[in-house]
Amino acid sequence: MGRAAPLSFVCAVAHLAGAYFSSRNRLRGQGGGGRLIWQQLINGLVTGSTYALIALGYTMVYGVLQLINFAHGEIYMAGAFAGLLLVTAAELPFLAALVLAMVIAACVGVVVEFVAYRPLRRSSRLAVLISAIGMSIFLQNLGLWIFGPSTRSFLPPFPVVSFEIGGLRTNTLHLLTLAVALAMMVGLQFLVARTKMGKAMRAVAQDREAAALMGISVNRTIAFTFAIGSALAAAAGVMVGMLFNAVTPTMGIMPGLKGFVAAVLGGIGHIPGAMLGGLVLGMIEVLGVALLSSQWRDAIAFAILILVLLYRPSGLLGKPAPEKV
Amino acid sequence: MGMLDAADAAIRSLINPYYYGILVTIGINIVLALSLNLVTGFTGQLHLGHAAFMAIGAYTAGVLATRTEAGFWVAVASAAAAATLFGIIVGLPTLRLRGDYLAIATLGFGEIVRIALLNLDITGGPFGLRGIPRETNLPLVILVVAVTYLVLASLVHSRIGRALIAIREDEVAAAAMGIETTRMKVTAFTVAAAFAGIAGALFAFWFRYLNPSSFGFAVSIEMLAMVVLGGLGNLLGAVLGAAIMTMLPEALRTAAPAVAEHRMVLYGALLVVVMILRPNGLLGTSSEHGWLEVWLRRYRAAGRPANGPRGERHGAA
Amino acid sequence: MSVHRLGNWRAKSFVAAAVGLFVLAFGMAALAQVPEVVIGTLGPLSGDYATYGTSVANGVELAINEANASGMYNVRFVLRKEDTRGDQVQALNAINKLIELDQVAAIVGPVLSGETLTAGLIAQDSGVPFITPSATNPDVAKIGEYEFRNVITDDVQAAQMAEYAVTVLGLKRLAILYSNNDYGVGLRRSFEQTARALGAEVVAVESYLDGDSNFSAQVTNIAAQNPDGLYIAGYYTEAAKIAQQAALQGLNVRIMGADGFDSPQLIALGGPAVEGALFTSGFYADTEDELAKEFVQKYQAAYGSKPDMFAANAYDSARILIQVISEVGADRQAIRDGIAAIRDFPGVTGLTSFAENGDAVKPLYILRVENGRFAQER
Repeated sequence: MGRAAPLSFVCAVAHLAGAYFSSRNRLRGQGGGGRLIWQQLINGLVTGSTYALIALGYTMVYGVLQLINFAHGEIYMAGAFAGLLLVTAAELPFLAALVLAMVIAACVGVVVEFVAYRPLRRSSRLAVLISAIGMSIFLQNLGLWIFGPSTRSFLPPFPVVSFEIGGLRTNTLHLLTLAVALAMMVGLQFLVARTKMGKAMRAVAQDREAAALMGISVNRTIAFTFAIGSALAAAAGVMVGMLFNAVTPTMGIMPGLKGFVAAVLGGIGHIPGAMLGGLVLGMIEVLGVALLSSQWRDAIAFAILILVLLYRPSGLLGKPAPEKV
Repeated sequence: MGMLDAADAAIRSLINPYYYGILVTIGINIVLALSLNLVTGFTGQLHLGHAAFMAIGAYTAGVLATRTEAGFWVAVASAAAAATLFGIIVGLPTLRLRGDYLAIATLGFGEIVRIALLNLDITGGPFGLRGIPRETNLPLVILVVAVTYLVLASLVHSRIGRALIAIREDEVAAAAMGIETTRMKVTAFTVAAAFAGIAGALFAFWFRYLNPSSFGFAVSIEMLAMVVLGGLGNLLGAVLGAAIMTMLPEALRTAAPAVAEHRMVLYGALLVVVMILRPNGLLGTSSEHGWLEVWLRRYRAAGRPANGPRGERHGAA
Repeated sequence: MSVHRLGNWRAKSFVAAAVGLFVLAFGMAALAQVPEVVIGTLGPLSGDYATYGTSVANGVELAINEANASGMYNVRFVLRKEDTRGDQVQALNAINKLIELDQVAAIVGPVLSGETLTAGLIAQDSGVPFITPSATNPDVAKIGEYEFRNVITDDVQAAQMAEYAVTVLGLKRLAILYSNNDYGVGLRRSFEQTARALGAEVVAVESYLDGDSNFSAQVTNIAAQNPDGLYIAGYYTEAAKIAQQAALQGLNVRIMGADGFDSPQLIALGGPAVEGALFTSGFYADTEDELAKEFVQKYQAAYGSKPDMFAANAYDSARILIQVISEVGADRQAIRDGIAAIRDFPGVTGLTSFAENGDAVKPLYILRVENGRFAQER
């Protein structure tokens, strides 16, 4: 079973979807059911990669701290605004703006950790959770105060080319989003598995006290984890802001929630799991709209999520937690 | 009912309707926080969908009040029954999940209920349900709060309550000691759902209009914040947490008119500050009779290395 | 453009303005012994719907500042703004506070239908007249005689758009994408019904939730049906994104909507994708009408952006209250009767009267997006 299960799950969904499509005449518009399902799968891939981007940062912070960082969506928002201002007001080239936005968000993340989470290091997990919720409310409304409530346009500072392959439409921005998500996943995996800092992170995740005894600076490692997680959130914010051409102070609420769901679906704390969870969630949503009803989209997605969890209680790629004795 | 009405008239002559309204909301929130505390505080299960049970109760009462001849008490009882039923249906499969996976499952359930309310005809869909009479008043709310408190207090001091606390402290050990953990967890969850349903009915008969957006994820989170802020596993803490979380936005509205527009910034910051200053909630440790518990623990733990009041194990672990 | 985007400047000047107003208010109160009348407004100033609530609060504030500065009235109007976060619990508290603590004479608001159906009942019970500038749920009219609504209802708007689409534009295959809230569903029902009655085919009906950013799956479904017109029943924030995503997917059909489109934000966010879009609205910001032109200028000077439909309706509602109060005084019953008796009030949204059920009767335009501006289609 193990690794094959999620794959077979995706295949089963796609198979069912195909069967459903060929039998459903409402969907036999224009180009026939076959092409339509493929177009929807592309939509799902793009939607999923936006969730994956957010889920990666979520899952990494969780992996080290076992903390559901509810302020992650707001750091994502802050990153998007930073990117927007760097591109429009400072007129920086895209790559420089992206990197700088990630640095700014990393600083915000470290400050948030220092102010709201570090003092609660020895408290119950729920206390930190509520502190994170408070931080999320604070940052969101601070954004509202500073930037005003209206949505701002975020046009990509580079040309976006729309093209068709085999009758399927996509564009360079879609591909870039997916590429950034993949690159971040690989980079993160490398960081955690191969670097010294990654080793420290894993040690802290496993046993904080033992790690401290081994000479690892727990505080520094956790601050670093937040910096990386926040930088990832900023990258997600900038990419999604451009993808949908919209940046607003409340933009973090739903994606934050969906990112969390995607991370759990994949197996929380598991880096490729976050990627897979994001993509699966995106696919489920899109297929829910394509096959059943857009009205029930989120209900379908959550119902499938619950079923997956009942079948695999530790998420798609997560290892079953050892029983604590 | 007659006595309640007389009491109500007396209260109304004393209190400005603005404060009266806040007190009613506080009462409804106390019932919600107390019931959630049973699941999260006493049993240690992270539950992020409590607003859904409130919604089920509210809509059951609302539909009965607007489409049938059912009276207030029948509607309240039906609300409790409907929420109980859903508590069992949802609790049985999902409570096998641990920690954050349970959190996500309950969150998902909450969203499913909200979307169902939005798309069904009987609930009025996005137009909501209007025309519910105003039957809730302050003495009635106080009565319900008192009953809820007494029922939950006797429950947590019973054998069941001790079993729930055992599950919170160490589920594996509890099971090893012969506690039927799933059955106990489902019991706690269902009792909590029933009280949330009653709170929902009070809500319906107070606000007179129901809309699915009043029962979203943010509402579940706010209930959780009430419980943790007051003190997990502390009944009085839930009361205090609900009162503070309800009054805080209003206090910021009236006390600081210059920043009233940005009061949510302060609200978020205050939440962080309070948690930092009182990590175990305002009412100290995470159990009723906190000082006694602490003392007993020290006494029993003498000789063993000091352990924080709850430490990492707590809550969702 | 880029100056306008530096939001923190706006925030700073806003705080400065608020402090200034506060000082000014105290100074004026000390100087002049004119009686004060308190007008309240409530709506979402934080949370998901803050953009709409802020527009309403700005519109009301502008009208009141103007009235006080004009020296035309023998009373001074004091504004109390309350935030509802778009949530009915807070809306109830906010309206109780306005009525019981601030002793408002009348109210502009609430903004959303949900909060109006809860808080409006309190105003009705307490006998406080209120004009909602934006709640379009049909049930709002049933609240009672203290309720007035200065916005054209969904059914009228959607029916007119459908009629225009089918009979004038000759569209035959219509698709609908609606926001799954009372506004969107109300528009959808009426549009679908009218279009079908006139012989057009409604080939696709899809929905989304407020705050969604990604509409690709719905757009793909709609594109597959090959429609010749797309009716978006929702607000400008989402409509602009939908238009863009439709264009990216090669769905280049006539886009239509209702007054939820009526904001300069539609064009700022939608760009070329919303060019040619048609929508119904009671407010026309690029009009040659002197009154409306002046309003747009003053609003832009005060808040740094052009007003939307919410701001315009709120501005008119506040001006109606100001006129009525200056005539009949601060008695709530008299204000109610005064609003009901208004005939052809010259508003920036056209000549306004109120029908028996409290709904505004005023002209409805069909507007078109043309070269990044709004132009009158009909």
